[in-house]
Amino acid sequence: MSVDETEPAAVGELPGRRRVAVLAVGVVFWAWLLARWASHNAVLDRLFNALGAPGLIRSEVPVRNREPWLSPEPFASAADGVASLGLPEVATGWLVWLLDIVAFAIESAPALAEGAYVTVYLTVASMLLGLAIAIPLSVARVYGGAVLSRLSLAYTELIRGTPLLAQLFLLYYGLPLAGAIDSVDLVGSGSIPGAAVFVAIVGFTINSSAYQSEYIRSALQSVDEDQLVAARSVGLSKWAGIRHVVLPQGLRYAIPGWTNEFVYLIKYSSLAAFITVLDLFGRADVIASDTFRTTEIYVIVAVFYLALVLTTALAMERVATAVSIPGVGQHDGDR
Amino acid sequence: MSLLRFEDVSKSYGDEEVLHDVTFELDAGDVEVIVGPSGSGKSTLLRCVNRLTEIDGGAIYLDGADVHAMDENALRRRVGMVFQDFNLFAHRTARGNVTLGLTEVLGLSEREAAERADQYLQRVGVADQADSYPAELSGGQKQRVGIARALAMDPDLMLFDEPTSALDPELVGEVLGVMRDLADDGMTMLAVTHEMGFARSVASRLTFLENGRIVERGSPERLFEQPDHDRTREFLGELTDLHR
Repeated sequence: MSVDETEPAAVGELPGRRRVAVLAVGVVFWAWLLARWASHNAVLDRLFNALGAPGLIRSEVPVRNREPWLSPEPFASAADGVASLGLPEVATGWLVWLLDIVAFAIESAPALAEGAYVTVYLTVASMLLGLAIAIPLSVARVYGGAVLSRLSLAYTELIRGTPLLAQLFLLYYGLPLAGAIDSVDLVGSGSIPGAAVFVAIVGFTINSSAYQSEYIRSALQSVDEDQLVAARSVGLSKWAGIRHVVLPQGLRYAIPGWTNEFVYLIKYSSLAAFITVLDLFGRADVIASDTFRTTEIYVIVAVFYLALVLTTALAMERVATAVSIPGVGQHDGDR
Repeated sequence: MSLLRFEDVSKSYGDEEVLHDVTFELDAGDVEVIVGPSGSGKSTLLRCVNRLTEIDGGAIYLDGADVHAMDENALRRRVGMVFQDFNLFAHRTARGNVTLGLTEVLGLSEREAAERADQYLQRVGVADQADSYPAELSGGQKQRVGIARALAMDPDLMLFDEPTSALDPELVGEVLGVMRDLADDGMTMLAVTHEMGFARSVASRLTFLENGRIVERGSPERLFEQPDHDRTREFLGELTDLHR
């Protein structure tokens, strides 16, 4: 596949040197993130303790007091130094701002890493649970007959037609769901997150199941119907034909749309902050109100989201290639 | 007793009657070729046999049993079908296309199914392509896989719905060759095809269908040489000219 220079290229399609640079940045980011999680995460804390490496983790230290691994000092004093040179503002203003924001990013990084952990598992859990619901929903929509397909359509339209934030508020403040979850002893103790996170997962699962089912529905409809006729002609039941012939192809066709939804959900998951979840956005909010450096922290948190999104897009490209079959889906004729 | 019997079969789509009081029967080992202009009801007639289409009137009997009293999946495993556009499962290899029915319908293990699939792929001459996906096969190879898929179920009867119409002319021969071999082995076949060479040399009977009615039915020699109806002479003449 040749890439037109004027077209925006996916990371996987970038030419050699740029691709290596992008991947190197990605590897450093993820190595840092994983190490950070490992050293401050209660789940991993137990794991390391069980493996006989206690002390590696300091999960008892409050997130806001956790120390960054790099010192922000050199950047902060460099910024001060440049500013004190007395050169015209136009010439050095940008450099001061940049050095300042790097120092601030280093200070905020431990808290943001904690938030990123919540964002990642919130999103991944909701996508997978949503998929488990979306598959039967979309099959019902396409093959379910009058009653089932209308029920599926009604669910999809209701969920897609109302704001996600309203859905989350309804679940968290309007229904006794949070209280019910909280009354379970384990919730909020030790490594298990509080009720808000569970409510957020329920909300995102419901919301994303509706969107995912739309992508999968249109993918199922693009599978050549005659193949189902052929399956039936050898004696497979309709449901066996759907399972063995339509779904394996339809789900492959759905990968690009599904990736889209994944990317959307990473960003929409920031709404969890509005129901008190300390995800990536929630952490940024706390820092913003502590420091009043709103612009800077939202620029920094945007870079985090960008990194998560690019990683997802790249990973899903790999998945699509790994499961591609000649003549089926987007990789038509690719090998 | 006849293997397949149509008794006053009729079928309509809305106001349009596509089959009108069709009656005929086939003995085991017979090869019946059906010809007719497009829209004459040929494909519908085939699809009624394995109930991909349900009839409105009359009855169809397979080996003496009314097909409408049978479980449709049980019926279909006894009737193989080959399609004009192959309808291969795009996500499965040639072997995988054959094994699906064997494992899911006949309950064979994956290994038994693969062995049996390979035998049938060998028989239709595409053993070397067993691991290829449909997109990697030529039209003729695809259709032979389609035949192997139907044949591996060990059916009592094979239905062919214009099996060579979607093929490039140079690929028609390999598919007709497989069908000829099948006929020689005694398979009962009901084929919609406009390959008049095949009809003349292989068919035991030729049926001319027009507007949902059987205009004339008889041995290929008689229909070609001295048909009762001028319309039959005219239609077969056109077909033969077309394929010369």
